[in-house]
Amino acid sequence: MKGISYLARTILKNQLRELIRTPARLIGSIFIAALFVLMLFSSPAEDAVRMPRAYLTAGVAALYALMFFLIARSGLNAGASFYSMADIGLLFTAPISSRTILFYGLFKQLGTSLALGFVLVFQYSWLHNLFGIDLLDLAIILLGYAFTVFSAQLASMLIYSLTAGSDRRRGIAKGVFGGAVVLAAAAVGVPALTSGGSLLEGAVAAANGPSSLLILPAGWVSSAVRLRFGGELLTGAAGAALSVLFLVLMVFLITQVDADFYEDVLKATEVSHTALTAKKEGKVQDVLPQNIKVGKIGIGSGKGALAFYYKHKLENRRARVFLMDGLSLIMAAMTLAFGFFMRDSGGVLAAFAFACYLQLFTTASGRWVRELLLPYVYMVPQPAFQKLVAICLEQVRASALEALIVMIPLGLICGASPVVIAAMVAARIGYSLFFIAGNLLIERVLGWLNSKTVILFLYFLIMIVLAVPGIILAAAASTLLPWGTAAALLATLVWNLLLSAAIVFFCRDVLLYVELNNR
Amino acid sequence: MIQINHVTKRYGKVVANSDISFAVGDGKIAVLLGPNGAGKSTIIKCITGLLRFQGEITVDGYGNKSIDAKRRLGYVPEMPAVYDLLTVGEHMEFIARAYSLPDGWEEYAGALLARFELADKKNKLGKELSKGMQQKVSICCALLPRPKNLIFDEPMVGLDPHAIKELKEVMKELRADGCSVLISTHMLDSVEDFWDTAHIMMNGSFAATKESGDDGESLEDLFFTITEGRPAEGGVQ
Repeated sequence: MKGISYLARTILKNQLRELIRTPARLIGSIFIAALFVLMLFSSPAEDAVRMPRAYLTAGVAALYALMFFLIARSGLNAGASFYSMADIGLLFTAPISSRTILFYGLFKQLGTSLALGFVLVFQYSWLHNLFGIDLLDLAIILLGYAFTVFSAQLASMLIYSLTAGSDRRRGIAKGVFGGAVVLAAAAVGVPALTSGGSLLEGAVAAANGPSSLLILPAGWVSSAVRLRFGGELLTGAAGAALSVLFLVLMVFLITQVDADFYEDVLKATEVSHTALTAKKEGKVQDVLPQNIKVGKIGIGSGKGALAFYYKHKLENRRARVFLMDGLSLIMAAMTLAFGFFMRDSGGVLAAFAFACYLQLFTTASGRWVRELLLPYVYMVPQPAFQKLVAICLEQVRASALEALIVMIPLGLICGASPVVIAAMVAARIGYSLFFIAGNLLIERVLGWLNSKTVILFLYFLIMIVLAVPGIILAAAASTLLPWGTAAALLATLVWNLLLSAAIVFFCRDVLLYVELNNR
Repeated sequence: MIQINHVTKRYGKVVANSDISFAVGDGKIAVLLGPNGAGKSTIIKCITGLLRFQGEITVDGYGNKSIDAKRRLGYVPEMPAVYDLLTVGEHMEFIARAYSLPDGWEEYAGALLARFELADKKNKLGKELSKGMQQKVSICCALLPRPKNLIFDEPMVGLDPHAIKELKEVMKELRADGCSVLISTHMLDSVEDFWDTAHIMMNGSFAATKESGDDGESLEDLFFTITEGRPAEGGVQ
């Protein structure tokens, strides 16, 4: 026990020391803290249109359920791990009881679960404006989130422990898991379909009613959280009791059923170690399906630099990216949800701005960025500009497709006219090109920097500064020209096209000057 | 021929390579030796055009970042460079397409895969391969365009005995064909029977250069004298 407490203490101490010794990290932390404080004290829009809180609690239930099922599902594959490779090499072989080590892992995981919820803190501003929540409300939502994530990690570990090495047991577990997902969908879907009113209203009502207890166990946690927002006492109390019982049961089963869990976590730890190492080395990892279907063999087309484009198409097919990748799909869902909630208060331009803000993150994870991490793109004897265009082509094609898929429904949700929707699609493509060009610019100008934090900070800063003239142009166009909204959107398109062309011209030889990215 | 003239590479204030000059002639095998952190991989990455540097590097007389130089240069990196979602065979196809290789490359690709015992893994994805197998794919990718200059960065790490034996044979064949071969390693015994020139690196510079026919200290003794201040079997001072 002495060894474990020393380890926990020392790791915490060294993390703090590292934070102080690394100026970039310290500046980043202060910046985040300042942002948070600014957000708390920025005056809320008192006249903002308030949404019923039932939408908030339904959204919370959906988020908890999504997180639980996504994390617990990993137990059917490699499982989740609370440990690092160093834990396995040094702790597992040390004369310390496996149960003590298990609780050390659980304790560590609790911290991670809380940290995962940190991103919710930054949603305070718009949640406050839209639903009128206060800080305590947010803290309770955050607590419920951390509780759900922690329970999901435990469930994942238990599922893996119980099913590892037995296809039959894994099959049963898959069946049970699938059953739980179907039950959750039915708990919301059936009342929504039979309510007679609108589907959305019915689903929100179901997610706030007793039937939410059928969403295991996320519905229990969300029912307990709902008590704070005027939820029904009996359902809330039942939810709280069931949540705690579920957690206790998970811990009990893990400690009793399988005290010899080392083998179970070994593979999971190796998987997460590989992912972490890749992340530390600055490698962007593909989110790949567990079993990849190879399908038709061969790249089939493309000579010279174009071979990269056709290779990307093949890789997308194997990664099961058809219309959009996983991250883009999530961002699209968030955009549409935002558009739905903001359709009355912010209008179509606010929804469009939010969509473009999210796009900043998806562009940086395209396949072309991954290409910069291997030597081939630098070594292949083709002109640098041709290679540059070839590795970006797939991202351009995907962005154009994404503009159609996201902007048309967003425009319809916001009640925009066909002309405005067409302008939204065009402007979105303009922003896609601008973000791709911006990434190139960052590689060209900041490629020599070693600190990812500094690069990310400067990336956002540079992109904002470069986008501002387009926004000013848009504001001018909307007042001076007819078709105000469409004119504003098209003004950003013009600016972004000009800017992107200038950046690409400036960076045309980037592959000659950039260094193999091994940050 | 690979020519390196007064190359210096800095990472901020840290000097990874300081004013390095050397050449690898046609039909010669040069090795870069040195302890971890001596700067071997850095100079190799400068030669292959993956890092910026001060100084001049040419490959068969062409600037190392030119297309002509790239056409003549093959590189096996320290960490295997494979695509997760391409099969072994598709790696060969990709190189053939990207380098615009003439028809008939399939036959040579097949021979390379067979030689490194990858023929039966042709339809396996990169992500399904062990590290050693990924290294073999990397080697086959570098050899497929038949470059006249080859650079290997720690090529033996992770390879099984058969692959090590084959790779050594390949290196000797490349030399016999008039290619320039540069190998970086810290495993002295892996190159002891076929090197022509050995450069021992310390702290980013060349501490000594030895030709294979030179009399005097053995390569191993010279290495330990430079890196530890005593010959290999001299005991602890």
